[in-house]
Amino acid sequence: MIGTQKNTELVVKDLRKSFGKNKVLNGINFRLNEGERVVVLGPSGSGKSTFLRCINWMEEPTSGEIILDGEVVTEKNVRRIRQDVGMVFQHFNLIANLTVMENLTLAPVKLKRMKRDEAEKRARELLKHIGLISKMNAYPASLSGGQKQRVAIVRAMMMNPEVLLFDEPTSALDPESIGDVLSLIRELASQGMTIMIVTHEMSFAREIATRIVFLDKGRIIEEGEPSEFFEHPKTERVKEFLEKVL
Amino acid sequence: MNGFFDKIVELFSTPEYIDSLLHGFLLTMQISYFAILIGVLLGTVIALVDTAKKTKWMVIPKFICTVYTTVIRGTPMALQLFIMFFVIFAIKGFPSIITAILAFGLNSAAYTAEVIRSGIQSVDPGQTEAGLALGLKRSTIFFKIVAPQAIKNIIPALGNEIITVIKETAIVSMVGMYDLNMAAKDIGSGQNMASYVVPMVTAALFYLATIYLITFVVRRVEKSLRKSEMRGAEK
Repeated sequence: MIGTQKNTELVVKDLRKSFGKNKVLNGINFRLNEGERVVVLGPSGSGKSTFLRCINWMEEPTSGEIILDGEVVTEKNVRRIRQDVGMVFQHFNLIANLTVMENLTLAPVKLKRMKRDEAEKRARELLKHIGLISKMNAYPASLSGGQKQRVAIVRAMMMNPEVLLFDEPTSALDPESIGDVLSLIRELASQGMTIMIVTHEMSFAREIATRIVFLDKGRIIEEGEPSEFFEHPKTERVKEFLEKVL
Repeated sequence: MNGFFDKIVELFSTPEYIDSLLHGFLLTMQISYFAILIGVLLGTVIALVDTAKKTKWMVIPKFICTVYTTVIRGTPMALQLFIMFFVIFAIKGFPSIITAILAFGLNSAAYTAEVIRSGIQSVDPGQTEAGLALGLKRSTIFFKIVAPQAIKNIIPALGNEIITVIKETAIVSMVGMYDLNMAAKDIGSGQNMASYVVPMVTAALFYLATIYLITFVVRRVEKSLRKSEMRGAEK
């Protein structure tokens, strides 16, 4: 087991976000329950990544509320909430001046989640699990893209998060590494991890999602189970989108 | 040509001349050392204010820093030195070395601040984001993630600034201070050697050797800092 189960409930209420005059999110209402795996789809510029990034306040919402387990995210508690919301970035963002091991142990040790030896033991287990124990003392520069992303996922798991957010986790990878990263995400899914993914991998979305959310112009215009969404889309916009990408 | 060699012999066999050169060199080094120290300390503070998040508490400090760097970088160093000597510290008996250190230190701070600011800003924002997403404190992110990476970008440019300060201190001869530059002029003057070539070339070699040494050290430091960027680098 990489993770452990919790009672997670994430609620997004009338979320709006503008960058200057550019309105990116125009009132999103959304709910994510324990064990759900939501894939966010939509054309580029529809606000998918911004939506994801607003959840842990990497982008501060212009208005609206993010509520995790009944607690509204504010300036004051955002740092604590982020500790329970893992995030995986498109460009991995491994800390360049720290080794793989240090990348994994920095947050849990600094934030007093684990003692150093405990954290290192856990990190070793996880690295063994993803086949990268030999890279333990290597710096990120010597890893391939796929290896970096798998380390980044494991780094997020070190905090034992309630939700994992994936922001286009495979968009910067070569086809072979994509497979490795997707199988790791698949494994987390099979263990009941609550997951939200922004991705362009349609077949993976269909396979892994318990629900698809489709964004267009900063609004959720359609959501549903993957089979329903892909085979019987309700809106013209989604039909058009699927025709282009499938 | 014979005269030239005679002058070399004369310079190096007259203890008073050697003494003057060394004293001049010592003063140049003292002013440079403390000016750079002030420059780095004050420059770091300015750079941190400059790169800090824009909150209402930071508006005034940010404004002061902008005005400061604009004024310092927009006026000649020689004029700043004159203002320090003849306006601000025009106090009888006030040690001129302190005035000079302050003049160069305050000047260097503005440039060093730019060096440090651009070093900090050249670190990939994704690095800070990774720290934020993990829930780390801003201070932890700065000291553990941003600063160690920024230093790699700062060191080479800071090396340049150090070199600039050392050379620029030569203008203290304009306010009558006896630095290396002034020593060369004094030794070469009519009542001494009555020939400028040898003392001035010697002074030039003093500057060159110092700066060469600093360049060498900076390169070394730079190289060792870049270790983690090399493929296959391990701890």
